Amino acid sequence: MKDRRFLGFLALVSLLLPVLVAAQAQRAQLPAPPPPAAAAPRQPIALIDGAELPVPVTLGPTGPLFGLAALVNNLGGTLEADEAGESFTLTIEGKDVVIGVGSAIVTVGDNIVSLSQPPTRGEGTLLVPLDFLQKTYGDLAGFAFEWRPGVQQLVISRRAAREIPVFLDVVHLQGMTTVVLQFPEAPRYQVLRQPGQVDVQMMGDRLAPPPAPPVATDPLVQGVTIAPEQVRIQLAPGAQASSYVLENPFRIVFDVHLPSQAPAPVAPGPAAPQQAPGVRTIVLDPGHGGTETGAIGPSGIQEKELTLTLARELEARLESQLGVRVVLTRNEDANLPHDARTAIANQNKADLFISIHLNSSLGAGAHGAETYFLSAEASDAAAERMAEAENAAGGALPEGTAGLEAQDLELILWDLAQTHHLLESQRFAAMIQGELNQTLQLRDRGVKQARFRVLNGAAMPAVLVELGFISNPDEEKKLQDGAYRTELIASLTRAIGRYKALVENRPEPPQVSQPVQPAQPSPGATGTTRPPQPRSPGRR
Amino acid sequence: MNRRAAAFILGLALALLAGGALWWWLQGRDSGGPESGPAGSAAKPAPVSFELWVPDGIGLHVERRELQVTSVPKDRIRRITETLLTPRPDGVRLFPEGVALAGVQLSKDGTAYVNLVWEGHEDPPPSGSTEELQRVYSLVNSITTNVPEARQVTLLWNGLQRPTFAGHLDTSRPLTPMAALRTR
Repeated sequence: MKDRRFLGFLALVSLLLPVLVAAQAQRAQLPAPPPPAAAAPRQPIALIDGAELPVPVTLGPTGPLFGLAALVNNLGGTLEADEAGESFTLTIEGKDVVIGVGSAIVTVGDNIVSLSQPPTRGEGTLLVPLDFLQKTYGDLAGFAFEWRPGVQQLVISRRAAREIPVFLDVVHLQGMTTVVLQFPEAPRYQVLRQPGQVDVQMMGDRLAPPPAPPVATDPLVQGVTIAPEQVRIQLAPGAQASSYVLENPFRIVFDVHLPSQAPAPVAPGPAAPQQAPGVRTIVLDPGHGGTETGAIGPSGIQEKELTLTLARELEARLESQLGVRVVLTRNEDANLPHDARTAIANQNKADLFISIHLNSSLGAGAHGAETYFLSAEASDAAAERMAEAENAAGGALPEGTAGLEAQDLELILWDLAQTHHLLESQRFAAMIQGELNQTLQLRDRGVKQARFRVLNGAAMPAVLVELGFISNPDEEKKLQDGAYRTELIASLTRAIGRYKALVENRPEPPQVSQPVQPAQPSPGATGTTRPPQPRSPGRR
Repeated sequence: MNRRAAAFILGLALALLAGGALWWWLQGRDSGGPESGPAGSAAKPAPVSFELWVPDGIGLHVERRELQVTSVPKDRIRRITETLLTPRPDGVRLFPEGVALAGVQLSKDGTAYVNLVWEGHEDPPPSGSTEELQRVYSLVNSITTNVPEARQVTLLWNGLQRPTFAGHLDTSRPLTPMAALRTR
């Protein structure tokens, strides 16, 4: 009897022991809880619709931190850790939010978001700050979060429906119609595609239609109707629409085309008068300006000053010697965005765009001139995004997941503008480089390609020329010498003259001579897109 | 409870005990503590030879360097970047003194986010295009060459993505390596 009791007791203890061991092991995995906040009036809690949520809340150095796993359980979504437990992926409404422990930067879809304080581990879970919740569950799922420090409460509620104004632009360009819906703040919406129409359906929010009813007499878009719950785009028979999103301001853009015309833009219609090929207008872009000094030489000379001097000297020489119209993107020491520089060239229907720069290098010994045109990689990327947008036309991809890098993009067409002129840009760059090498006996650094922002939107042959290294004391000195600059200007003028003659003496128009002018809507357009506008163009 | 039943329960309990102990041991072996960083064998630094793209007078050349790293991709990106930010023996610095790595992020699509900060400076150091290309692609090429999980790099400055880094290169989208900068 005694033996049996002892065996039973032993069995019971043995059964409990693994449980205790497991509990101890689990505890060992968790970090030590942070020290309790000094003078916290009461235990923080989270409330949703008045009901208390079991969400761990800790007071961090710059504000409260909330246990994410418990919120995911209550608000929806999924949370996965990587194998090292260093980063987590939160998925809400089909969008991935990548969180790094200890990093105050997270990615929300394609966007990068800075947080007030980094997510951290604690309370046996991942802890995130309030603004993380607002930028993820708030923006993506419509929750509102309010931290009430007096009572140590996180109050979560479903955000009330907002009434968001919508503005409509419709433009027909190069065989494609672009419909732009612009909002002052991003609505919660989904895009629904059906044969012959596309709907932008609001999810919780309501639209405030524009005061004037939109008119859309367009070959590819039969009409656009805006109601509080949705925008409906009625397509012409056979037309297809692909969509993408642009930020700042928030826009949903639909490219409507006939399948046979996609994706390459077609030539302008017969209404556009054909001019004989030639070089009549040249836009010179003195690099940098304003607070953007560019390179600074050993003696303190700034690139922005010399580029303006060189551009003015070249302007005078080109006008007198070649009889062309010359426009400077800036004629003073002022900041000018890169996109505005090419916008000036596009608006002036320039035949050539030349961005003038002076170089610097890490390490000693760099000298010589080099000429750049846009890299194929940059133009390929734009074409790829266009293709992605086209692929999304079937509705297989949810909105916003077409892989578009919308940040800082104005329009995909804008990015594609230079793509059509790469061959001519390369030819023109080679002529400039050849003249610089021959005349000045400079070290030939060659014709190169790079992803230079200022060349992106130019709808004409465009180059960026580096006329020497001001980081090199010898070249810096020479560049400040007027006689040397005159030689530089003369060789550039000869190169431009040679290119001009080449274009004007061609038996046929060049292969890519039809400039895509994203800034110029065609006749009959029912609206206008808004490419970047210059802030302070210093034209003469 | 008869003797046979008690023996069965005891055997079962002992098996559970052995299993629990084994699980505990494996857990402790794999995870380490929260302060010890990423997990287990992955968290153990070991010397690895990397090909770093470093600036010379006219572009970038490749140098082999042995660095102590774990197998965690983010750790490798961090280590590579920190190494490139330190002055070279010839005195050439990729960035001015004070520029530091604030954080690294690696997304599922293979984009490495590298956040550089420079206290008291809103903008990156002014430069000509070659210097800008050297700075940016020293990081981009070194990271993408040595960390297969990172196929492109987004460079952030003080936590923000810029349209251009120093007035030339379009950094509004992730950058892929530029082999043309290699000088030797």
